[in-house]
Amino acid sequence: MNTIDFFGVRELFTHNNILLCFNGPISRSLIEEIGNALKNYLEAAAVQPSAVMDVFGTYVEMTQNIRHYASLRGYGEADSSATIIVARDSADAYLIQAGNIVEAADGAALLERIALLASLDKAALKAAYKEQLRKPRAEGATTGAGLGLIDMARKATRPLAANLTPLDDGKAFFSLQAVI
Amino acid sequence: MNDLNIPGTQTTPSIVSDHAQGMLAIAGDSYPENSFEFFTATIEWIEGYLAGSDRPLHLELRLIYMNTSSVKAMMDIFDLLEEAHGKGRKVSVDWFYNPRNERVEMLAEEFREDCSFPFNIAARE
Repeated sequence: MNTIDFFGVRELFTHNNILLCFNGPISRSLIEEIGNALKNYLEAAAVQPSAVMDVFGTYVEMTQNIRHYASLRGYGEADSSATIIVARDSADAYLIQAGNIVEAADGAALLERIALLASLDKAALKAAYKEQLRKPRAEGATTGAGLGLIDMARKATRPLAANLTPLDDGKAFFSLQAVI
Repeated sequence: MNDLNIPGTQTTPSIVSDHAQGMLAIAGDSYPENSFEFFTATIEWIEGYLAGSDRPLHLELRLIYMNTSSVKAMMDIFDLLEEAHGKGRKVSVDWFYNPRNERVEMLAEEFREDCSFPFNIAARE
């Protein structure tokens, strides 16, 4: 941006009801700080404690997934950036959205998994969650072992939605949205 | 046997064990990135306690928000209790939650579904 005029940015944020937006390398402490800001905002807006926890929990799973993925793939700072947006829609639902760079093949597998989750009702999602919870941890794994997406799908009031934008070098930009 | 006295942080719960009383208390939010590592000391304490005596073990939980990797670690803890219970050991859980937050009650209920030892869930301010 060369000119000192942020009206366009403001209009974009206002038009899309964006409460919070972050773009760049995401550290563990940044996830915590942005999460705090989100929680404080929701609590100040007198959102029900259970809804605050659902929005916050979805944000945590999404951002920690991105961090775990970048570390699993050994990405450097530029590729382990995340784009995080929390917005409201016209029905006053919260949209938790995040995007990150992935290997194109991993992105395709993610889209398939999200389509599968979208076809499940809440009871089937609960069964899938419990099944995943019972799977033994992969050797050396310290993460939730594939529970994050199912957890988001369970909290969400609409099916998870995702998109993949092809990039150079066999990479793609993965965008994910959960509605609470 | 060394007792645990881990102060809580923004992303990790406080954990206090009392070997003499057969008690373990965990309270707060739990969403570290490396939950498995974080809960290792607790899992080891429980294993040591169960192996080192035949006295009862009681868990007092005031957990609030848990990320999925903490849920997984907690499941490992309940599995240890379930195994001990299966061998006739006296184990029990009390989980207290704030009545204004029904999500915590649901979380506790889901854990309880897989446990056959006494697992009490109660609202407490």
